[in-house]
Amino acid sequence: MKEPRLLFDRVWKKFHRGQLHDSLRDLITESARKMVGRGSSDRELDEGDFWAVKDLSFEVLPGTTLGIIGPNGSGKSTTLKMLTKILQPSRGYCEATGRIGTLIEVSAGFHGDLTGRENVFLQGAIMGMRHAEIVRKFDQIVDFSGIAESIDTPVKRYSSGMNARLGFSIAAHLEPDILIIDEVLAVGDMSFQERAFGRIRDLAWSGIPVIMVSHQLDRINELCTDVILLDRGEVVTRGTAQEAIAAYVSSHDAQRMVEGTGLVNFDSVRFDGEPTVASGHRIALRIEGHTTAELTDNIEPILVRVRSLRTGGLVFVTGSKWLGYEFPSPGKFTVCLELQANLPTGSYMVEVAAEDLIPHEDIASATSLMFKVTDERTFAGLIQLNAGFHTLSA
Amino acid sequence: MEQILTTPEAGIERPKRHSGATVRNPQTAPPPEVRPTILQDLREIVFDIRNCRDLIYQLTLRDIRIRYKQAVFGFAWALILPMAVVLAGLAVRYAIAFYSGRGLAQGQIAGMAIKAVPWAFFVGCINTTTPSLTSSISLVTKIYFPREVLPLSAILAQTIDSLIGGVIVTIALGFLGATMSAYVLWVPVLLALLWILSLAFGLMLSCANIFFRDVKYLVQVFLTFGIFVTPVMLDATMYGPVGSRIMMLNPVAPILEGLRLSVIRHHNLLHELNAPAGFLFWRPWYLAYVAAWAIGGLVVSALVFHRSERRFAELV
Repeated sequence: MKEPRLLFDRVWKKFHRGQLHDSLRDLITESARKMVGRGSSDRELDEGDFWAVKDLSFEVLPGTTLGIIGPNGSGKSTTLKMLTKILQPSRGYCEATGRIGTLIEVSAGFHGDLTGRENVFLQGAIMGMRHAEIVRKFDQIVDFSGIAESIDTPVKRYSSGMNARLGFSIAAHLEPDILIIDEVLAVGDMSFQERAFGRIRDLAWSGIPVIMVSHQLDRINELCTDVILLDRGEVVTRGTAQEAIAAYVSSHDAQRMVEGTGLVNFDSVRFDGEPTVASGHRIALRIEGHTTAELTDNIEPILVRVRSLRTGGLVFVTGSKWLGYEFPSPGKFTVCLELQANLPTGSYMVEVAAEDLIPHEDIASATSLMFKVTDERTFAGLIQLNAGFHTLSA
Repeated sequence: MEQILTTPEAGIERPKRHSGATVRNPQTAPPPEVRPTILQDLREIVFDIRNCRDLIYQLTLRDIRIRYKQAVFGFAWALILPMAVVLAGLAVRYAIAFYSGRGLAQGQIAGMAIKAVPWAFFVGCINTTTPSLTSSISLVTKIYFPREVLPLSAILAQTIDSLIGGVIVTIALGFLGATMSAYVLWVPVLLALLWILSLAFGLMLSCANIFFRDVKYLVQVFLTFGIFVTPVMLDATMYGPVGSRIMMLNPVAPILEGLRLSVIRHHNLLHELNAPAGFLFWRPWYLAYVAAWAIGGLVVSALVFHRSERRFAELV
């Protein structure tokens, strides 16, 4: 058998904005053309058309996980729909070889009047499982979903969370050759989410080709070997998870960037040692660069922003001026910045930039770095308060 | 609370199976676009459907289950439409019998009863298949499977439904004075033709309904008035020599009349038969005519369906 893979070769996809037909005359001629499968202009844009995906190419081989990120309407789901053969590319060629497992809309086939048990068989069949396979895995599926006591209740009486949990459990018990995941990581309550994510990670790491779309950037960062950042159907960045996520996060609440002042330049920014730190401990950043002239008062030469990848939001901002650090005079500089990671576990991103404080614009920025905070479950909460117990009297 | 801020065991490393296997631009040129031939398409349809046996079974089961869930009379509903047809037919025939002064024979009732269930089956098939794709929008736009299974399973569910009616009619026929003959062997042939014809119509209409929602209303109009141009309550012979020939152009008519003639009148359908009024009524080529409709229709509708299938999600 051929090696399972996902292939996108110069794929374009056109969509139409607004109503499909403007008049009865349009409708008849247009529909007649569509019925025989000869859209007049799969190649050019008609009025009201737009490209949902523009010239996208990739190949996902076993052992790799491709993440696709980007704002809403950037063509992520359209891409997945073309892979699962729901949509047909307007141009180009796409292919998915092997048995496809999709974690998309995991309870789409449910019928409210049927019981959970009946729906497991129905949804399983829709996802392509054989009857015998569902019978064999039925107990595992119900166990995983954690709703064993309601399995004989009609699904219409389920809460939306139970619905999604059952749907996910069915999908998670497919044994696919390739896996396609669209935004199903936020299913159910927190403990179920952890279980679900563990399952996805097991599947992804079992060596099959995986493609996933998610807004949970920390998950993307954890699972994906490669990431493509899409915006309005076009590839903005492709590269490692770090590069693409950094480009995405800093684009969506971007500080305006002024090109070419050349006043401050960053040559290298890196961590001293591994980019992993235990919660509450220190991590050091080494920043090298040079300035070309004496800095005026309105220039903040080193501004540091720390973001949580889970939310994309800023958790910490500081700068050399804020801390009263005396920046060395023009020329080369090598600065060490120490941060105490009083953070919960997760992935974080550090952006280093120079800013002109008067118009509030970045005049230089360095490659963003990511680091991971680990913890042996010594606390839960939003920040690490370095708690400690001491016996004062016995 | 404990899980809220923790990611699962950080530190586990991803096993590297294919070192160096990175996401890259495809190296292969796309295969040249070839339009599949009709034969390839048909083979693909058969292959798809065979691959989806379990799905068809589950969807059929779903359709049967939800039809009678929370319905007090349950499966008795499968009999309501055929019974209504027979009763309405009785009323019409009674009026005709009174007007012409000929009286109502028991054989006439049996002749109606045997046509009522197949007609109800046909109506049921059209009614359930036409919206079968549009009512599953969430499935069609989100999960891929051969879309043929939706109308197909609707027809299978209807088949199970009508089998119940069929059994009851068979029992009733005994009470209505019908007797057995070797010519009942025509029944499975005629029913098979009806089944294929229903599938052909079902595929075509469900597909058309995605493109034009008018189809749904058009179908309602046709089914409401179809009973007047199909020999269900009345026999085709009652429309006279010219009228009956026109009526038999309706592909369902020869099937229904064939059932009546073979079971009630013990007629071999390979022979011609004169109507009671004396004109030539049954022509053997009607069978070929219906077969052409059924099989030709199935091939055409399956092809149209298959070729427009991949546009469903966009146009639904």
